[in-house]
Amino acid sequence: MAVLFIVLTIVMLACAFMAFRAKQLIVSALWLAGCSAILSLIMYLLGAFAVAVIELSVGAGLVTVLFVFAISIAGDETIEIKSIIPRPIALIIALVSIVLLGFMTISSLVSLPVTTETASFSDMLWQQRGLDMLVQSGLLFAAVLGMLGLLGEAKVPVKEKKTVSAKEPQATQSAVKPVAATPEVKA
Amino acid sequence: MIQALILLTIGLPWLGGLAIWITTNKHPRAQHTLAVVFAVAAGLAALLMLPYTSATPAIVIPLGGIFGALTFTPDGMSVFLSIIATVVGSLAVIFSVNYMHGDKQLGRYYELVLLFIGAMAGLALTGSLLFLFVFWEITAFCSFALIAFNNDDPKAVAGGIKALIITSLGGMGLLIGALIIYANLGSYQIADFLARAHEMPADVLALVAFGFLIAAAAKSAQFPFQTWLPDAMEAPTPVSALIHAATMVNAGVYLLARFFPAFKDVPGWTTAVMAVGLLSVLLAGIMAVVATDLKRALAYSTVSQLGLMVYAIGAGSVYASQFHLLSHAVFKALLFLGAGTVIHAVGTRDMRQMGGLGSRMPFTRTVFVIGALALAGIPIFNGFWSKELILEAGLEAEGALWAYIAAIIGAALTAMYTLRMVYLVFFGAPRSQLHAHDAQPAMKVSLGILAFGVCTTWLLAGPLYQLLTSTLPFHQFREVTTLDMISTVLTDLATYLALLVVFVGGLCWWKRDALSSITKRLQGLARMATNSFGFEAINRGIVRVTQNTAETLRLTQTGLLSWNVAGIAIGLIVVLVILAWGK
Amino acid sequence: MTPLQIALIGVLGLIGIGLYGLLITRNLIKVVVALQVLVKGALLALVAAGTASGKINLGQSLAVMVIVVDTVVAVIGLALALQVKRRMGTLDVKELSTLQK
Repeated sequence: MAVLFIVLTIVMLACAFMAFRAKQLIVSALWLAGCSAILSLIMYLLGAFAVAVIELSVGAGLVTVLFVFAISIAGDETIEIKSIIPRPIALIIALVSIVLLGFMTISSLVSLPVTTETASFSDMLWQQRGLDMLVQSGLLFAAVLGMLGLLGEAKVPVKEKKTVSAKEPQATQSAVKPVAATPEVKA
Repeated sequence: MIQALILLTIGLPWLGGLAIWITTNKHPRAQHTLAVVFAVAAGLAALLMLPYTSATPAIVIPLGGIFGALTFTPDGMSVFLSIIATVVGSLAVIFSVNYMHGDKQLGRYYELVLLFIGAMAGLALTGSLLFLFVFWEITAFCSFALIAFNNDDPKAVAGGIKALIITSLGGMGLLIGALIIYANLGSYQIADFLARAHEMPADVLALVAFGFLIAAAAKSAQFPFQTWLPDAMEAPTPVSALIHAATMVNAGVYLLARFFPAFKDVPGWTTAVMAVGLLSVLLAGIMAVVATDLKRALAYSTVSQLGLMVYAIGAGSVYASQFHLLSHAVFKALLFLGAGTVIHAVGTRDMRQMGGLGSRMPFTRTVFVIGALALAGIPIFNGFWSKELILEAGLEAEGALWAYIAAIIGAALTAMYTLRMVYLVFFGAPRSQLHAHDAQPAMKVSLGILAFGVCTTWLLAGPLYQLLTSTLPFHQFREVTTLDMISTVLTDLATYLALLVVFVGGLCWWKRDALSSITKRLQGLARMATNSFGFEAINRGIVRVTQNTAETLRLTQTGLLSWNVAGIAIGLIVVLVILAWGK
Repeated sequence: MTPLQIALIGVLGLIGIGLYGLLITRNLIKVVVALQVLVKGALLALVAAGTASGKINLGQSLAVMVIVVDTVVAVIGLALALQVKRRMGTLDVKELSTLQK
């Protein structure tokens, strides 16, 4: 059992690492999907069945589709690999953080107080953490609005300006006047 | 009732600033009106606090944890200083209605002045050392912003930055002292500290005492920090009258007066205070005698008079210093506003180009002469009584005859430069063709009220004593009533000695042609005085070092995502180390 | 080594790799990838703690919250990256800094 866990953990870490070493963005997104899949397997083996399924479908499915969509719109450009921070320094920072974190958490994990709980997963999710779910729905609503705002104004069609040009001149003129007025005030 | 009054005194100017910001620069008349209304209302609120003074904190807002509690204590010294701040502030604002007429950025000016008035009242009223520091720094910021108000003028900007750097470095002394007190006594409250100062170890208390002395010296432009105040005269004159004569520079004196009972037993502290005060008196007095710029001469005079107040505290008489603070605030504001009238009328600050303006500006000449007589210490005017009290207090301090002699010489210098200033500006033959009109209506209001104050505030000696003794449990004051004071001053030999010295000083100026041989030999001294005895170079060096350090540190602000993330990660590591240490 | 300790090592590894990637990368989209890896580490930590203390359902509920939030972050992050590409023409972090030298 422990061997299985060790192997799975090593594979997951390897996938995560390859996600950064990959030169192309799409390959990087695919390695991330692999990391998600292994993670969901580990979580299943730990006993968390529901969240394993959710993680598999969201992490390995939804997020990967998002990445592929974004990369296809943004275009896969080659950016030089040389990073701004020298690699050894970044390595040291990362290592020091995880050593400190490990130092603090490993001892506490084995001494967690063990209690048995009686609620089932659905009862826990909808009843006891009901407020969380409410806030989540608010968050999703805000995210949708944000997405519309971010992606909606991207389209500035040049063709459409001609058709509404009858209305536009007044609008653009009134837009031009305040711009011309502000430099005077500043001077 | 008193809680509402305290909040009004601090909050009304801030609300006024907000209201002025909302009515934009398109309605200057509304801005003028709002500024005057809010400033006068704050002055009234401060005056109404007089019957309610007490030594216990009136407002206590516990902020939990390391911030202690935000308290406001309306005791005698606090209410006294906040009255000066708001009343002189409202007079300066009334003066600004005419002085700043037609300015393009009126909103910014009034907002900063009102913010300053509120912060100064807060500084005086607060009972928590931490918030004293906060209000201290707010006033330093307002002072900087107002000195550099004409930000197209590089001299003004340089003056503002210099003032900011020097007063902020001094403020570090205050912050370090406050933190040391908190670490040792567990409380930021001033009353707690004054009661338990003897519990602190002696060397730590000495550190705090000298830290506060440095902060007070930097803020009040005392030796060795005295060069920022003359350069701060680039500010509009009502600002000079309010901030750099009547209120902010008094914050240092207030600090020393407030903490005097705790520090007076620290070995060497009172001597250091006296030395700082006297050196300021003498150095600034000499520099005022050779100054050619009208406002610079007044600035040196301010440094000199503040030195006298600091000397009084060092000699042990907090009452004399507070009384002189009252007199000085009134007559110095009068002198500055009068100088402002002159500068507004003729357009130049150089005294060598003025002369003979008295015939064309009779009202201004009268009030300016009143203020000058008070400064020189001529009887009847308030400066005379308070200065005599200080000189007598100096005589009673143990073994300080050298200090008394130095103070007397300071009085002579004061008379000399005052007479010189008045003569150069208002009398004699006009040295150049200058167009001059007399004071405008709002200016006349402020000047008139201040002149009336100069003639009468010395009558408040008794009530001031009552105010201070009844609400300051840790200070000891000797019994004083107004009649007592009058009789003491008039019957003391020292008074007549001082008057004689003042007369001699005036005579020296009058007969300067006859004394020209002596003046020629003092040319070297005069040259050193114009260079501020080398302190200008030191202070310029400090400013340059600070600015270079800031430019170097700018390299850490790269704007690159990777470095910002690295910064966050390093912060995370520091937090983790601290947490791991705690285990 | 119990499975829980191995899971914890996995958490530390994921956080370390995520942090390292965040510091190294120059591409905005890879920044989003790095954030995803970091959050996976947090997820595993929640589930492991849930199993260790017997409150597995509580751990799972919290993990579901984190998945939703992290997906929203990914979505908004990618939309921002797209807008940056459209306006500034590049996704290179070095070119995007407009701070004056």
